[in-house]
Amino acid sequence: VEALLFRLAFTFYTLAFGLAFGYLFSRKESLSLWMWRLLGVGVAAHAASFGLRLNAFWATPENRFFFPIHSMYGALSWLAFSMAAVFWVVEGRHRLNILGAFVLPWAWLSALGALGSDPVAPPLLNPLRSYWLDLHPMVLIAAYSVLANAFGVGLALLVQERQVKSRKPSELCFRLPSLEELDQLNFRLIAAALPWLTAGIVMGGLWASRTWGTFLDAKVLGALVTWLGYAAYLGLRYGRGMRGRRSVYVSMAAFASLMVTFIAVDYLSRFHGYLTRG
Amino acid sequence: MQLLLVGASHKSAPLDLREKLAAVPASDALAKVKEAGFGEAVVLSTCNRFEVYVSETAPDRLSDLKSVLEQFAGAPLNGEAYAIAGPAAVSHLFSVSTGLDSLVVGEGEILGQVKSAYETARQAGMTGKLTNVLFQRAVFAGKHARTTTGIALGRTSVATVAVELAERIFGDLSKSEVLILGAGQMAELSAKYLVGAGVRKLRVANRTHSKGEALAARFKGEAVAWDAMADELGRADVVVASTGADRPVVTVEMVKRALATRRGRPLFFIDIAMPRDVEEAVHKLDQVYLYSMKDLDSIVQENLSSRASELDKARGIAHEFAAEFCGWLEAQLAGRRFALRHGEV
Repeated sequence: VEALLFRLAFTFYTLAFGLAFGYLFSRKESLSLWMWRLLGVGVAAHAASFGLRLNAFWATPENRFFFPIHSMYGALSWLAFSMAAVFWVVEGRHRLNILGAFVLPWAWLSALGALGSDPVAPPLLNPLRSYWLDLHPMVLIAAYSVLANAFGVGLALLVQERQVKSRKPSELCFRLPSLEELDQLNFRLIAAALPWLTAGIVMGGLWASRTWGTFLDAKVLGALVTWLGYAAYLGLRYGRGMRGRRSVYVSMAAFASLMVTFIAVDYLSRFHGYLTRG
Repeated sequence: MQLLLVGASHKSAPLDLREKLAAVPASDALAKVKEAGFGEAVVLSTCNRFEVYVSETAPDRLSDLKSVLEQFAGAPLNGEAYAIAGPAAVSHLFSVSTGLDSLVVGEGEILGQVKSAYETARQAGMTGKLTNVLFQRAVFAGKHARTTTGIALGRTSVATVAVELAERIFGDLSKSEVLILGAGQMAELSAKYLVGAGVRKLRVANRTHSKGEALAARFKGEAVAWDAMADELGRADVVVASTGADRPVVTVEMVKRALATRRGRPLFFIDIAMPRDVEEAVHKLDQVYLYSMKDLDSIVQENLSSRASELDKARGIAHEFAAEFCGWLEAQLAGRRFALRHGEV
């Protein structure tokens, strides 16, 4: 049932994603409303699937109150869920309809990744039995999903900037939110995610140094680079008044580092490994 | 039971007649129509049209209805008014509600006017089965045409394109400040549109200060000294340049200096002067956008050409809804069931 619900959620994500693209090319407001509704159903189904998974995982007493996101499946599924949920909230509040086409692809991709990986929750390794560790990926992935939303917003800003600068704006220009709105939203999302990112990294670092006596791990370093990138974005924006296109480049570089940290470092890290060691 | 319509609009009647009709209060008009023995009636009265729609079972009452209109006009009407019965009258209302019959084709105000005309009649107890369904369908068709076709999109004049572009940069213009360079006719026209879009503050800089003051006063703005223009670039968001100067009055150096104080906020130049007022290289600066008259005009031309097909789409919608209503009416008379479509069409 859990897997079925997840498949259902994935189907609804796909539909919502399709509608978001449909909306990009048509003027039908109803498409984006349905996109939002279907996405809501997808998020709900996903939450239910997650709940069942939690239930099953907690059936083993020693797993109790740990979240099963230490496998690639668990992590990607949680990532897709929080990305979709964050977007659902942002869209519900701001009604920046067209953003769906820029944000949903990432949620969809990570749900697809989860669908492609082994859903069996492996038993927790002994060093992983710590509430620090339990919260650490949870918090980080939540921060990642807000940042992924910010990435989508940044992408929309670059497209819009190009439109206005070209002097030949197409219909898309008049449908996208304004440069200032996109810039503000990008900033607000990143500013909201940074404390969580910080907390997640600190938790991981503390816990790593307690357990292994060092926090010098490829993943921790990658996370630090990411953190510095986003901190630089906020600093440049706040201190130097850097806005618009250039500031988006900075935030996108930080996002690239985040992706590298999240996926590629798995192969380099001694202690982290969703892909290599589960 | 069929629909009868008499009316006069900008297409048929001269201004003085339209003014005379527009002065008749809707409640009086409804009362007169009732006196003349019509049970169901809606009076649509705007500055460009005055129309009476009634539902009538007896044939040949069109001339009675027309004489009611003549009472309002105070004179016999011939070519200035139209009297239509049946499906053609239905079609007319759908053209009106979709904005196709408006003076400015596609304008949106008419939809609200149709709605309130219906509400007034309903509150006066003058609506019945036919008019209820007819007007609800007309409003629905109008909304549908506005949301699914490009008929409602302005962007068919240089001024509206300029305002929309400003909105693409700043979003809601209520937080934006405008600086107008020059005080001529074009400057005034742009001021009018930008103030209409709700800008927070309007400033005018003109070489002849008194002229600048006069223009600023007309829009509750503020005149600033011509020499202070370079500093003003630091706080304005939208700059409309339309001076008669024969060389650029805004240079790259000036804008660069202004940018240093703007903390990254974008700056939008609309240069409608001939020859141009703002150096072209300004557009290359980050967060600065410069549109000339030529740029704006080519956007307008493009929109006008794509609009033709949007108008066709809107006509199709009006026609479809009118035909559907006529089908419904026929079914009603024959005592058959007929479901009107809702939602997506």
